[in-house]
Amino acid sequence: MPVVLVIWMVVWPIISAIVRTIWRPDASGAYGFNLDTYIFFFTDRYSLDNLSLTLWTTGICAILLLVICLPIALYLRFSAGRLPAYVQGLAIFPMFVPSIILSYAFIRVLGPNGMVDLILNAAGLPKIRTPYLTPWGPVIGLVWDNIPLTVLILLAGLGAVTNQSVEAARDVGAGPIRVFWDIILPRLGNSILVALSFTVLGLFSAFTLPYVLGPAAPEMMGPFMQRTFRDLYDPLNATTQAVIAFGFCLVFGLFYVRSVAKNRTP
Amino acid sequence: MARTLAATRIDWVGVAFAVVLTIVIVFPLLVVGTWAFAEVWRFPALIPQQFGLRFWNQTLARADVWEALRTSLSLSVMVTFLSALICLPAAYAFARLKFPGRDILFFSFLVGHAFPKFGLLVAIAAIFLQLNLIGTFWGVVLIQLVGTLLFMIWIPVAAFQSVDRRMEEAARDVGAKPLRVFWSITLPQAGPTIAAAVLLSFVGTFYETEGAWLIGAPAVRTMPVLMISFINNQMVIQYGAVLSVILWVPSFVALLFARRVIGGGAFARGFGG
Repeated sequence: MPVVLVIWMVVWPIISAIVRTIWRPDASGAYGFNLDTYIFFFTDRYSLDNLSLTLWTTGICAILLLVICLPIALYLRFSAGRLPAYVQGLAIFPMFVPSIILSYAFIRVLGPNGMVDLILNAAGLPKIRTPYLTPWGPVIGLVWDNIPLTVLILLAGLGAVTNQSVEAARDVGAGPIRVFWDIILPRLGNSILVALSFTVLGLFSAFTLPYVLGPAAPEMMGPFMQRTFRDLYDPLNATTQAVIAFGFCLVFGLFYVRSVAKNRTP
Repeated sequence: MARTLAATRIDWVGVAFAVVLTIVIVFPLLVVGTWAFAEVWRFPALIPQQFGLRFWNQTLARADVWEALRTSLSLSVMVTFLSALICLPAAYAFARLKFPGRDILFFSFLVGHAFPKFGLLVAIAAIFLQLNLIGTFWGVVLIQLVGTLLFMIWIPVAAFQSVDRRMEEAARDVGAKPLRVFWSITLPQAGPTIAAAVLLSFVGTFYETEGAWLIGAPAVRTMPVLMISFINNQMVIQYGAVLSVILWVPSFVALLFARRVIGGGAFARGFGG
């Protein structure tokens, strides 16, 4: 029963989406191989802008997430006590804040006349140029939203690094950077890639945050698909966009499945 | 020597992380909380000029809020119930029984997670369009069910696998029937983790925005969909703030319950970490 449901709700829509966007009736009604919607997507300036904005956001978010989460995960791995427990609690906390509430909080804090403006104003400083409705809005929101998962995945990966190996390296005189580079990083590579896959998959399908916080044009793939589908009543082009998003995520998706398969083989 | 020094030294790195994370993560939510109880808060003031519950009364007096709350709750209950009905037996089968094609089936669940979800939703929506499920309650139920499937399979599978097989065998040796073994031995051990999975899928459905927006709007309005329209079109800031505080309650409950599951590491492993 669940298998039937999965096939009907996951596998079938994907196959149907691919088939229906390349094998469909032309103007005369005869079915045939037809790549028009894809040609349209890849020649349309606006569609390409949306795609490149999505790729740009994905890249920036992935880098920021690694830069932020790796130190947190390293710190949590190699310390114990109440303070690290508090840090871990905070790092996981955003998982329990729905993105819609986050969007609202973002506008109230960083939006025009938001809390940051109030504090800067009280300190006699000029207002910030608000990231609300610019490409940086979704970046900040999405990074915030993705911290918990990235930290958890990296932390699980760091579990594979034994204390003995780190101490052994220290005993022969290796500095912290050396330990990180030669002992920790090689074991962590897989987890970093899994975290990266998650970020890419999550960002290509992000909808709420870019929709509420991002600029109206160009927009990210999520809002773009939604608008094409609902506002322009154009399911064909929306599906084409979805298939293109699938294509870009395919590598990361396959990697994710392979990695879970390796870890999980019962 | 070095070890005792390290132990007594103040953990400055930890303090720095704690302070920065507190500012970045807790502060924005505090601002929203303050807005919910502010009656007057004009620009240059750091704190609201007047506190009060006026906007709580106004928000709670709105018919659309109650309508959305009712829709959200009935959707979440229905989706969680169906998901548990479908997934828990499957999870037990995956964890215990050996049958041909088991691995392939298991990874077919994963595939759903390996595609960008919103693209998948659009592909499903295109099919629903032909089935006339757009804008209906059951359309939203079906699309939200997809989101919970993976969750409700992964965590329970881990729970069933961690049950001590020797205890089950011991019970069987003293003559317990399979159902009795399941009820008295397996379920109590796997129960708390499964309860957490059910709770997480309930909360996840409650906050699910994309599917509800794509399939349901404007006929089916859930709380998050209402919240989007408040953010986009509502001039009174406090409505959104009050709604945020109300919306956050289920999440807080989930936070308290889910700590053990997530802290246990089974959760991260479930995601392939």
